Amino acid sequence: MKDEALKVVESVLAQGRTAMVEYEAKQVLRAYGLPVPNEKLAKTLDEALKYAEEIGYPVAMKLMSPQILHKSDAKVVLLNIKTPEELRKKWGEIHENARKYRPDAEILGVLIAPMLKPGREVIIGVTEDPQFGHALMFGLGGIFVEVLKDVTFRIIPINERDAEKMIREIKGYPILAGARGEEPADIDAIVELLMKVSELVDELKEYIKEMDLNPVFVYEKGGGAVVVDARIILKVPEEREREIGQSYREKCA
Amino acid sequence: MGEKIVEELRPFFDPKAVALIGATNKRGKVGNVIFENFKRNRENGSFRGKLYPVNPKLDEIEGYKVYHSVEELPDDTDLAVIAIPAKFVPATMRDIAGNGIKAVIIITGGFGELGEEGKRMEREIYEIAKANGIRVIGPNCVGIYAPDTGVDTVFLPDEKMDRPKSGPIAFVSQSGAFAAAMLDWAAGEGIGIGKMVSYGNKIDVDDADLMDYFIHDDGINVVTFYIEGVKDGRKFIEAAKRITRVKPVVALKAGRTEYGAKAASSHTGSLAGQDVIYDAVFKQTGIIRADDFEHMFDLAKAFARLKGKLPKGNRIGIITDGGGAGVMASDAVARFGLRMAELSEESRRFLKEHFPPHAVVGNPTDVVGDTDAERYRLAIEAFVNDPNVDAVVVIVLFQVPLLEDEKIIDILADYQERSGKPIVAVAMGGRKTEHYAKMLEERGVPVYPTPERGVRALAGLVRYAEYLRKA
Repeated sequence: MKDEALKVVESVLAQGRTAMVEYEAKQVLRAYGLPVPNEKLAKTLDEALKYAEEIGYPVAMKLMSPQILHKSDAKVVLLNIKTPEELRKKWGEIHENARKYRPDAEILGVLIAPMLKPGREVIIGVTEDPQFGHALMFGLGGIFVEVLKDVTFRIIPINERDAEKMIREIKGYPILAGARGEEPADIDAIVELLMKVSELVDELKEYIKEMDLNPVFVYEKGGGAVVVDARIILKVPEEREREIGQSYREKCA
Repeated sequence: MGEKIVEELRPFFDPKAVALIGATNKRGKVGNVIFENFKRNRENGSFRGKLYPVNPKLDEIEGYKVYHSVEELPDDTDLAVIAIPAKFVPATMRDIAGNGIKAVIIITGGFGELGEEGKRMEREIYEIAKANGIRVIGPNCVGIYAPDTGVDTVFLPDEKMDRPKSGPIAFVSQSGAFAAAMLDWAAGEGIGIGKMVSYGNKIDVDDADLMDYFIHDDGINVVTFYIEGVKDGRKFIEAAKRITRVKPVVALKAGRTEYGAKAASSHTGSLAGQDVIYDAVFKQTGIIRADDFEHMFDLAKAFARLKGKLPKGNRIGIITDGGGAGVMASDAVARFGLRMAELSEESRRFLKEHFPPHAVVGNPTDVVGDTDAERYRLAIEAFVNDPNVDAVVVIVLFQVPLLEDEKIIDILADYQERSGKPIVAVAMGGRKTEHYAKMLEERGVPVYPTPERGVRALAGLVRYAEYLRKA
């Protein structure tokens, strides 16, 4: 698990970058058994057509560029592509949008992904605190996190009970439990996700600075969950060394 | 792990002989106030160790022989208290290392909090301590107050600051001024403090060490912390998890503001203020977080008085002799995340049978203004025996005419003693009520001046019990 993820990390760092593109972040997640869609990175139009055929239409296209981290702002996420003809047309369009947004954008390829059935949106995140180390965040996605900041934190590593408590203590929990006659969401799948992210970050804590899995779609009980979009920010190598050398820390009074 | 720390920190709390470096006969000076503290405690018998003042310029202070240097100190010296200007402290630390003393409290300020030179000196002191196996509390602190053993390095004179009696509460404070004010306040409130530690710049002994020490301290059954910042977060978490399994810890964390200056490049980073991180740490380790000073001691008092008795769930029963107070308590139950207990049929039948028709049976049960102590007793009897009730709030408006003060106090104390369920009392009123409240406290019943504070304290007990059940 760790070796596979480290390969991705090292290759990104070797390119002088600390921000992983979605495709790379998802490879790290996949290495730890997190549910990510069956996506493929196409470097050419021919590859894109081949992958779309394999995945089955309709598909989504997401252009991967280290310079474009806010993909929707740059209009480089195109959804619901139904036919090879449409894909050909959109291939040109997505590249043009990228160039318009950032003429210098280095393009790693276009992610061809299956269209996902919508689920209840949650966000799982990681940040590093200078005193306590990495912390795991959980909340409902969209307006709940943006406006209401209805999120909760735990220090990594967490145990299963911490994970369960996190899910239950957000104000929006009834939405997951099944408010207004809805079927309950797959809470066990969220617990598993939180546990796996905790394990991943605990093992790679010297490398990972921050992480957002946003959104994650959670389906009805028994239906599981899937990470729709992900980003990982790595520590710059110097930052890592400084931390290791800092055995005596100044304290405040 | 535990025994080593107990051995290392023992001289701080129970020294055989204390060297007071910087002792002086000049009134009001730090070195004089601390000298007077130890002298007074030797005279009243609480401090049973020896006192060795150190000052190169004096031969004698108030009948005590003064040593001119650390080298001259007798071999049995096991604690050094330093109250000399900062620039002389590193050299004195080297002398102490040579002498074999393993515990040092540095009262002196003017170190890391003032800038680079101070930080350099702190590092030097720290290196000497590490190399020689010396444990250090401070610098820039008021040190220790331990009434059972007569250790008192608090340099606020007795005539200006009251000292609390001993009790099962330990109080640890980063801030010295806050610690001193708290001791004074606790004395006035009649709250017993078994040990107070103010560690200031904490270059060595820190929160985690103290938690590990207090696990083994049988005289302490609740530990309270006033924290400004934790230096080694991981060590703190591990120690906190160890102690909360054994005894409750209450923390008041100052500085609820965000460290927004740290540019966050992820969504999560922008949502993670320092405060939510501390919240997470406290939840994960079972530390009960206090909202403010008052809350901290409301919680400490509940834990201390109830001696480990915890509610089995979150269903609260309320007994009152005033309707309004009952409503306020019910509101607080909802506000602090608890539930109102649903009284069993049996309890209702029992109360209806014994109560006059104008008393209100239910939750809250209102024994009404013409109550006597016996009516309270019946209500308490029903509530503590009701399987649907986990904890009981008894609101007593002592002002009502027919209530026998002594008897109601006896009843509450008796049920607190015998029942497996925690009982907290609320007594609202003025000077007369305060008098009864003190009597109740002395009999082991935690008393609060408002329904909100009583229920809020109970909520802390419920949360701690929940943590223990799941830990």
